[in-house]
Amino acid sequence: MNVSLFLVVAAAVVALRVWLRRRRRANGPQSPPRSAGGPFTGDVGLIAWREVRERIRGRILRVGTLFILAVVAAAIVIPVLNSGKAQPERVGVVGSLSAPLRAAVVASGSSIGVTVHLVAETDDQVAREDLRSGHLDLAIVDGRDLVVKTAIGPGDTSNTAQLAGSVAMTLGVATAYETAHLSARQVSQLAGAKPLPVTGLQPGKTEGPGRATSVVGLILVFVMLTQYNTWILIGVMEEKSSRVVEVLLAAVRPVQLLAGKVLGIGMVAFAQAALIVAFALVLAKAVGSELLHGTAPLVLASTLVWLVLGYAFYCWVYAAAGSMAERQDQIQSLAFPLSLPIIFGYIVSLTVASSGNASTFFDVLAYLPPTAPFAMPVLVGLGQATWWEFAASAALSIVGTTVVARLAANIYRRAILRTGRRVKFREVLSPSTR
Amino acid sequence: MGDLLELDGLTRRFGPLTALDDLSFSVPTGQVVGFLGPNGAGKTTTMRAIFGLTDLDAGTVRWKGATVGQAQRRRFGYMPEERGLYPGMLVNEQLEYLGRLHGMTASDAAAAVTTWLERLGVPDRARSKVEALSHGNQQRVQLAAALIHEPELLVLDEPLAGLDPTGIDAIGEVLVERAREGCCVLFSSHQLDQVEDLCEAVTIIDHGHLIVSGKVDDLATSGPRRLVVRVEEDRDAVWARSLPGVTISEIDGGAARLVLEESVDSQSVLQTAMGAGRVTEFVFERRRLSEVFRGALA
Repeated sequence: MNVSLFLVVAAAVVALRVWLRRRRRANGPQSPPRSAGGPFTGDVGLIAWREVRERIRGRILRVGTLFILAVVAAAIVIPVLNSGKAQPERVGVVGSLSAPLRAAVVASGSSIGVTVHLVAETDDQVAREDLRSGHLDLAIVDGRDLVVKTAIGPGDTSNTAQLAGSVAMTLGVATAYETAHLSARQVSQLAGAKPLPVTGLQPGKTEGPGRATSVVGLILVFVMLTQYNTWILIGVMEEKSSRVVEVLLAAVRPVQLLAGKVLGIGMVAFAQAALIVAFALVLAKAVGSELLHGTAPLVLASTLVWLVLGYAFYCWVYAAAGSMAERQDQIQSLAFPLSLPIIFGYIVSLTVASSGNASTFFDVLAYLPPTAPFAMPVLVGLGQATWWEFAASAALSIVGTTVVARLAANIYRRAILRTGRRVKFREVLSPSTR
Repeated sequence: MGDLLELDGLTRRFGPLTALDDLSFSVPTGQVVGFLGPNGAGKTTTMRAIFGLTDLDAGTVRWKGATVGQAQRRRFGYMPEERGLYPGMLVNEQLEYLGRLHGMTASDAAAAVTTWLERLGVPDRARSKVEALSHGNQQRVQLAAALIHEPELLVLDEPLAGLDPTGIDAIGEVLVERAREGCCVLFSSHQLDQVEDLCEAVTIIDHGHLIVSGKVDDLATSGPRRLVVRVEEDRDAVWARSLPGVTISEIDGGAARLVLEESVDSQSVLQTAMGAGRVTEFVFERRRLSEVFRGALA
């Protein structure tokens, strides 16, 4: 996980430096000397750094990060606290109950993850009193009757209901043996029966922390993509409406301004996501959460990768849309259709992550750049994606991003300086430019 | 001094509207040049074309003989008509940022910010957000943004609009000073009196065409001579009515404004006036820039 993070950051830094060096060479000797010092150099770097600085200073980022951290903390800590609160089931025994049957009752509890404490009760009346007062959860009367405080309905999944069902079955079978007059040896043989192994033709539904982490990761990707896309959309629109874009474009090219903006906001997004994931890892380890066991770390790493890929795909789309608007109401009408694939991918993926049942249609969604950021981490969480499938989907996403970025840069260049009203697609795609 | 900025055959159409129609003129170094024209004449489009902010259907913008590209534009300063600054950003950080985008180092940009805010009379607003400034102070900061990197060419679209006399004086002084230091300064304005005071030369366009371009002195003294004569005993200027080649354009408070044809000898006009009475005023008059402007567009 940490190695993956390091590799992603290192690759980004190397790519940025190579790009800057090539750009400096391309500008030739006429280009003025660049600034020394500071964390970023070059036009794109300067623009990106301004974005980073302004966003970090903004209250929205701080409050938003604290809110997400609080939600993540709750998602990790509350299940641990709940599991810690689980009390053993107290089962009262009225009359005699043979040792094998006592053992069978305890084993019934173990089979559903519940510890059973057997308590000897003097008579039926006392047992009922203890049930009413809550000292007992279940009473076994003479090995033949089971009594609980409240009747168990068909949809009751409480520990007591599950235990009562399991014990009822165990005692019912024992009674049947007895009625059949089986010998002690025969009874012992039957009691020692082991279930036959079952082989599945396809991988089954994965239960456990991997799926839970998938759900948490999905929510994280959805919230962060929505947040940062909105930043891009509004940021570009504000630069246009305040006309500062004219001053900036008098010095830099539109594609540089656009690249700096999406890079800057992207760095803030990745830093925030990395902080949240690191926080989740440390907290989960500290409280002994089950959430990060099994495939969960892999799911988290995959979520981070797809957050970056998802941002890279959508940021251009939203930037192009922002360049076509000048007012808040125009933004809303532009943002809604753009958010549809995100909402669709999120809801479908959330459904699959919860049910653990991925269809062929969902597999296809995992390869489409607009929905892959949601679908592919879920497949990873379900253990239904191989490394090469993951890589193929990422490669498709990168290709899709390249195409979208080119188109978006073209729209941005044509639309950003058209002021006075909302620009229509027809206008930015027409031969007359700006 | 040679021409540094050359606009050659600029043409820009917006659908059926031709904003610039084969417009050509040049701006010499070391002068403040006023860029004039009625609303919709194409001034802003021309200025935007210099910075590549509008695509041209035809024509070239050259700087020192070379076609203008990004490297040249880094050495230009621009103040757009619709002011453009980040409203929520601190003044000093915003100016430093813009300076660095024009190739300055961080330390040079910081020093220049201090210098220019002081020079423009807003040194105490360095740590203010732009949105917290008055209109006039925002205008000064906007000018500082155009000046911060010591540009070789300064293009200002309506820099005096909305300023009080103190602000106009402050900005005017800066423009003249920059021109004296060798900068090329081109600015548009509708305040012709201020333009006349500040500019050594003007360029007037209309409907995207060049109407006239030249030094203010030459334009003010070009055309028929204008003479103001006051004869105390003849306040209705009856004496001038029969003079051949002389037209009375206006009589104002006893003073007659005369327009002389080329062949008329001004000394004979003086003698005729003295014959009519005591001459208390006899002055050749320059045309005001507003008259040049109206005449050019007539």
